[in-house]
Amino acid sequence: MARFRLLPDEQHARSPLLLLWREFARQHSAMLGLALFVLFFLLAILSPLLTPYDPYLQNDTLLLIAPSWSEQGLVQYPFGTDDLGRDMFSRMLMGARYTFGIALITVMGALLIGLLLGVLAGMSKGVKSSVFNHVLDLALTIPSLLLAIIIVAILGPGLLNTLWAIMLALLPQFVHSIRNAIAEQLNQDYVTAYRLDGASNWQVLTRLILPNIWERLTVTATMALSTAILDIAALGFLGLGAQAPTAEWGAIIADSLDLIYVAPVGVALPGLLIFTAVLSVNLVGDGLRNAMKKRREN
Amino acid sequence: MTLYLLRRLFLLVFVFIALSILAFSLGYLFPGNALQNFTGLTDIPAELATQLTAEYRLDSGYIQQYIAYLQRIFSGDWGLSFASKQPLLQEIKILLPATLELAAYALLVSFFVGIPLGIIAAIKPDGIISRIISALAIAGYSIPVFWWALLLIMLFSLGLGWLPTAGRIGVLYEIPHVTGFMLADILLSNSQHQTEALLNALRHTLLPTIVLATFPTTVMIRFTRDSMLEVWEQSYIKTARAKGLNRAQVLYRHALRNALLPVIRQIGLQFSTLITLAMITEVIFSWPGIGRWLIDSIYQRNYPAIQAGLLVISTLVISVNMLTEILHTLFNPLARKR
Repeated sequence: MARFRLLPDEQHARSPLLLLWREFARQHSAMLGLALFVLFFLLAILSPLLTPYDPYLQNDTLLLIAPSWSEQGLVQYPFGTDDLGRDMFSRMLMGARYTFGIALITVMGALLIGLLLGVLAGMSKGVKSSVFNHVLDLALTIPSLLLAIIIVAILGPGLLNTLWAIMLALLPQFVHSIRNAIAEQLNQDYVTAYRLDGASNWQVLTRLILPNIWERLTVTATMALSTAILDIAALGFLGLGAQAPTAEWGAIIADSLDLIYVAPVGVALPGLLIFTAVLSVNLVGDGLRNAMKKRREN
Repeated sequence: MTLYLLRRLFLLVFVFIALSILAFSLGYLFPGNALQNFTGLTDIPAELATQLTAEYRLDSGYIQQYIAYLQRIFSGDWGLSFASKQPLLQEIKILLPATLELAAYALLVSFFVGIPLGIIAAIKPDGIISRIISALAIAGYSIPVFWWALLLIMLFSLGLGWLPTAGRIGVLYEIPHVTGFMLADILLSNSQHQTEALLNALRHTLLPTIVLATFPTTVMIRFTRDSMLEVWEQSYIKTARAKGLNRAQVLYRHALRNALLPVIRQIGLQFSTLITLAMITEVIFSWPGIGRWLIDSIYQRNYPAIQAGLLVISTLVISVNMLTEILHTLFNPLARKR
């Protein structure tokens, strides 16, 4: 319960960010998620330097080599090779760049556009705001896969085209959350006080609202990131997103599906990687949310 | 309340107009000839083309074309499918119930599994049971649906051989199409093999339902748990405890009713994700629903089908959204004020 303190003690004198980090670091699952997240992030950036072989190089003397933990495997090929003799390990590393990295870019794009539209919607009043909301409600109702199908039908299949579809599908939730957060902030007394001091809309926005909502934005962004990874992988699997030779995890699963009896690694491994990537994002998101809640309670 | 309903109705009309404009414009945005995209005929002879152009008002302005399009939609003339040359509305009438059946079972499972688990997890938030439930929930929330489906097929269908991999019912059974819901149709049919057919259909339904139910169930668990924890902190719960009610009474009379209110709303918000997942599940299990049909349509460049699919699925999602929101307002007087 709230205790009255005249002088802030040591705990309360810390910056809000540091307090958030302390609460976050106290949760083991969140820290595990963060470690995995950083690992995937580094992989997405550095994978071309780390791959031992060219992920697209077809070696017809080494077709369908078993992973190195089995009797027939070679130690040079930790996860074996696929039916075209391409090194699975290099393809998995490369996949982090496509599935995880592109999901990250998609979310960043949706966040930026969402911020712009959300601020416009949140700061405007009356008919303009109401019309805006209704258009958003429409966009919110079209399932992301359907949106991707329509965009693929117009522009043709490909990773870049589905990127637009996923961005478009993520946008409404960003705008909604930003709009609601701004509406909540505008009701606060300190905003009124700042306005009485003669602050303009722009000053209220940049000095008060944005610093106060960015943490909530981060949580929304992590939720969107997990959706984006799952959507990119699903579209790759269905053959609408990344096309066959691309080492995208979903597309690799679709590729290896015919050989599931001979080489189950080709289906199991990319699926496990997608699962781990999404799990890490969700753990970080949940950890952040919990930490924010705990900080508020203290 | 009347004013609220009127406002919702106005919004609904507005959204439907916007949706139909989008669907209409797709006829031009899709590759190929607009006349072909609207009629669904691939090779049109010259004299028929002029006749159809006049009938579809493609020679006049966009607004006249749009009005003609709306008239066709309401009179049930949705054009033909490029692939099968059948009327689209007829095809959709057969396919849509299959998708609805699958989605309905998944939602039912998520209610009967997700909500109790969420309540159990909220009773002792730091207990071991609660931690296990939360861990399962976050794992289920993160698993890619197509991979999960493949794993289950590998285990139960190919490995153990317990359950069939594809379809709604064995090919030996012939069930007349009445409602489109397989289980209801079997019960309505008077065949002597009714019980066997029912068991067979249930075996076919089990795996897709589990796969599709995973995501909504975990959402329900997380949401019910969070909502219960929040309600449990409120002062009216403390008042009720102070009056001498025991835990079970407080849970049933005060906590549950308030905690489950936002859950109703959540169904509407998650429905669009559920439909996306249902489409992927249908592809993997060869379930003859509208999702698999739409994804086949993209491989076949079947543009009229995609246009019709957009219209049907979006209408479905909008209606469910609106319905859950109205229900939420009906049960929650506090929401009416806004």
